[in-house]
Amino acid sequence: MQEQAFRFGRARHLVGIAGLPSSVAPEAVGVIVLNAGLVHRIGPFRLHVEMTRRLNVQGYPTLRFDLSTIGDSASSGESQTRKQQICADVTDAMRLLGEQAACKRFVLIGLCSGSQSAHMVACSEAKVAGAVFLDGYAYRTLGYRLRYYVPRLLDARRWLRVFSRRRKTHQGGSNEPAFTVAPLPQEVVRADFAGMLDRGIKLCLIYSGGISQYFNHARQFRECFGRVITHPDVSTSFLKEADHTYILTGDRNRLLDSIERWLSHNFSVSAGASS
Amino acid sequence: MNARAEAEMPFYFGPERALFGLFHASATSARKAVLLCPPLGQDQIRCHRLYRQLAQALVAEGIAVLRFDYYGTGDSAGDSVDVDWDRCMADTAVAANELRTRAGVDRVFAFGARLGGSMALASAAQARFGGVMAWDPVLDGQAYVAQIDAMQSALCADGQRFMVPRKPTDGAAQWLGFAISANLRQQIADLHIQRPPAPTVLIDSLSPDAPRHLNGFEVDAAMIKSLQPLTPWDDPRRLEVAVLSHPLIQAVTHYVREAA
Repeated sequence: MQEQAFRFGRARHLVGIAGLPSSVAPEAVGVIVLNAGLVHRIGPFRLHVEMTRRLNVQGYPTLRFDLSTIGDSASSGESQTRKQQICADVTDAMRLLGEQAACKRFVLIGLCSGSQSAHMVACSEAKVAGAVFLDGYAYRTLGYRLRYYVPRLLDARRWLRVFSRRRKTHQGGSNEPAFTVAPLPQEVVRADFAGMLDRGIKLCLIYSGGISQYFNHARQFRECFGRVITHPDVSTSFLKEADHTYILTGDRNRLLDSIERWLSHNFSVSAGASS
Repeated sequence: MNARAEAEMPFYFGPERALFGLFHASATSARKAVLLCPPLGQDQIRCHRLYRQLAQALVAEGIAVLRFDYYGTGDSAGDSVDVDWDRCMADTAVAANELRTRAGVDRVFAFGARLGGSMALASAAQARFGGVMAWDPVLDGQAYVAQIDAMQSALCADGQRFMVPRKPTDGAAQWLGFAISANLRQQIADLHIQRPPAPTVLIDSLSPDAPRHLNGFEVDAAMIKSLQPLTPWDDPRRLEVAVLSHPLIQAVTHYVREAA
């Protein structure tokens, strides 16, 4: 397997790297990895490079690319909303990977804002067969608040710090933008998930301990999204020990193991591996 | 079609086409060219946008540019743990020649930030650079290793990042998100960079309190250019925040434009 660099898209404004296994099974899905925030296509700590190369070895064609105006991609010059741009960019990406690897259906993978982009596209694009949402939409539920506040209320040492006024002032960060996904309303996301499942899309939600400011337990998937999350085509996991961007190599490997397992369970490739 | 985007071509080059590069062609026939040597590790990701902006500013001056990734970094082949200092130097020389071929010029300058600056200085003779601009280069490898080790230890205990602090063993053999070999660690610790034969500019934006570890590197006042604002390279709270600097772009563009 050798990766190939492409400039592509309706205005030849996008830059991406395709990983094309030497033999691709006719039914193989193409895997497209979307930008996480403003990090260019290699992903945080090269997560997307490791991910796509591992999937190539399993026989999946992949494309990691930069959306319009992110990384090395330019603007398309069109007058579009960000949502329209993202949908059109992913359509361009699917066309490229379809031409290169003859795949007709695709799985989208996105972390944080990448998950938001994947969600947006999966809502309307017929060629999407599956989506992996990493630290996607989530909401502070009653369960979240109980799990968050009760241990603190029962923590004697914490009260001691408060009363002795030795509580540290918050020094936790600069004024830089934090990791956030501006949430759609909870009911909208629930309905979106239901619509995706009705269209046969398989969903994988993997959330990390790095978003503990709004998500802190595996149970919260059900609390946030209700019965839709128990659908057989939905897989969820909570990697409590990991941070948001998988900075430790062991956490990164566990994440990649999870994605690989989910893909092979739902979109197995009969063709042999590349390399 | 976007003409400027079209002039930026991504490709693979070098032995076994293992190196990723992005060539920025100049609209007019280029008389000079600049190779942008990336830093290593997280600094490379933090500087990606700045390098692209710098490339576009240089192209606007009629200067051709090549950005590239060393083996084991960015989009190039190889795993992060495969990064090797000597291989990076060889890759730099290969990239310089690739730039000469694509731009049709022999005179190539080099720019690099942090370890990319060290790389540009260390490989200046091998890559036949006509001049080197090094932005806060790492000149004392031992001090750098100690600093990154301390940041890595602090990272595992960071309650803002992890719900539960991690064991130091979870972060072993890694530097701020990247697996690192014992060999590279030793190579960086042993760094001893000589002043290159080519004209050299050190662009300094370290905090005034930060010790200047010159480690025997010969410096005279004329070769140092101070830059404001200061760059928070080692602030763990900004580990995943892009490094941007318009003054840096202006300084480098000015230097290359004026270079005889």
